[in-house]
Amino acid sequence: MSAAALRYERKTSEHRVALSVAQGSASRVHLPDEKAKAHLVTAVLKARTEPEEELELFGVKTADLAPRERRRVRARVGAVSPVVGLINNLNTWENISLPAAYHRTTPLEKVAELAHEVIGAFGADADSMLVRVPDELSMLERKIAAFARLLVSAPELMIFDALEEGLSHSECKCTARFEAVYRAYQPAGTVIYVDTKEDS
Amino acid sequence: MLQALREIEGGISLSLNVAARLPSLRKAPILESFLRQVYFTGVTASTGVVLRATMLGVLIIAVMMDMLDADVDLAVKILLLLVFREIGPLAAAVVVILRTGTAISAEMAVMRISGQTRALNYLGIDLYEYLVVPRVVGVMLATAALTLYIQILAVFGGLVLSPFIIEASFMELAGRLFDLFTPVDFVYSIIKSLLFGFAIAGVCCWHGLNPPDLTQNAVPKVVTRAVTQSAMLVLVINALFAYLVFGILFFGLVKANL
Repeated sequence: MSAAALRYERKTSEHRVALSVAQGSASRVHLPDEKAKAHLVTAVLKARTEPEEELELFGVKTADLAPRERRRVRARVGAVSPVVGLINNLNTWENISLPAAYHRTTPLEKVAELAHEVIGAFGADADSMLVRVPDELSMLERKIAAFARLLVSAPELMIFDALEEGLSHSECKCTARFEAVYRAYQPAGTVIYVDTKEDS
Repeated sequence: MLQALREIEGGISLSLNVAARLPSLRKAPILESFLRQVYFTGVTASTGVVLRATMLGVLIIAVMMDMLDADVDLAVKILLLLVFREIGPLAAAVVVILRTGTAISAEMAVMRISGQTRALNYLGIDLYEYLVVPRVVGVMLATAALTLYIQILAVFGGLVLSPFIIEASFMELAGRLFDLFTPVDFVYSIIKSLLFGFAIAGVCCWHGLNPPDLTQNAVPKVVTRAVTQSAMLVLVINALFAYLVFGILFFGLVKANL
């Protein structure tokens, strides 16, 4: 049996959420409400928990982490959220290359190659998309750009938070490609789709 | 009271964080953001002030000579003291508050409300490094440059256009100007304008990153607070600086016993 990439538990007076996701798997998690979902996603992305929560990422309890270790764990996790979080005054290329340019981790030529491949995998025209600012993109294009930005840092755990939220019926058909593209870059990575019971 | 203390504490913390993170300007995205800020605050603002700054110099000389019956010597002296020491930096600060202060505070508040700052955090990008440092340093330098530009335009505008209004030649006015000019006036106004720029950008960044709530309604509140407080801070710095350097306050009404 493979080790768990994520173990999470949150007990409140209203409900108890407990989940364990095996490394390398793809899982769907339906949470009771938006609040519970926000707690889970925030805890995983920050590698930090509230008193009523317990979180274990890649076999390590996050409560025991020193700040430097916490940063390392956080770097192994990524999430595409409904908010998307692209920077409005930067164009798509600047958004995708920002973390690599800031952390000086990946050469920009490699980032450009990845951006073209990822955008191309969704059937979009990369050259025209990369020069547009977020306000000129559709919701699907924004999610693709945010996804490409995350892929640059090669996260081992990818969370798709309410992936279909804000997408049209035809755009929803493309959502399966997110996992396929992620697998192409991270074959051993873990994928979690989170949504609420009301969404699903 | 508590809010005021929180803002003072926030201002001090922001200043220390900016100072500690200055070396981050070498990072490509931060340098780019810094250059954009200098361009927006300094270069694009400079075109709009040409006529106003030039007319300011003419107005000062004309008023001094016509209404106060001043001679050339006194008119040039007042032009130099007023424009270099006071009006130049203040006029630049007003332009920067109205153009850049409003833009910075609104932009940051929108980033905070729409989750862009959270996304930057998750990407391991330090908000002070990426958002605050380039804006604060960019606005400081641009304010100093804009001050110098306004001073030059106002003084030389006054010297060139005044002979059309008053009984004094350009050479006469220019000669007195170079006799009276001291480097202290120049250094004083540049240091003061750097402080103005720091205060404006710091206040606007702080308010932008700390909106009262996370709704769209917070944006106008943030802009109003940022503009009001940065204008007040500029006036306070102006008064304190005049007192510290020249020992006078409120146009000479309060004098230091030095």
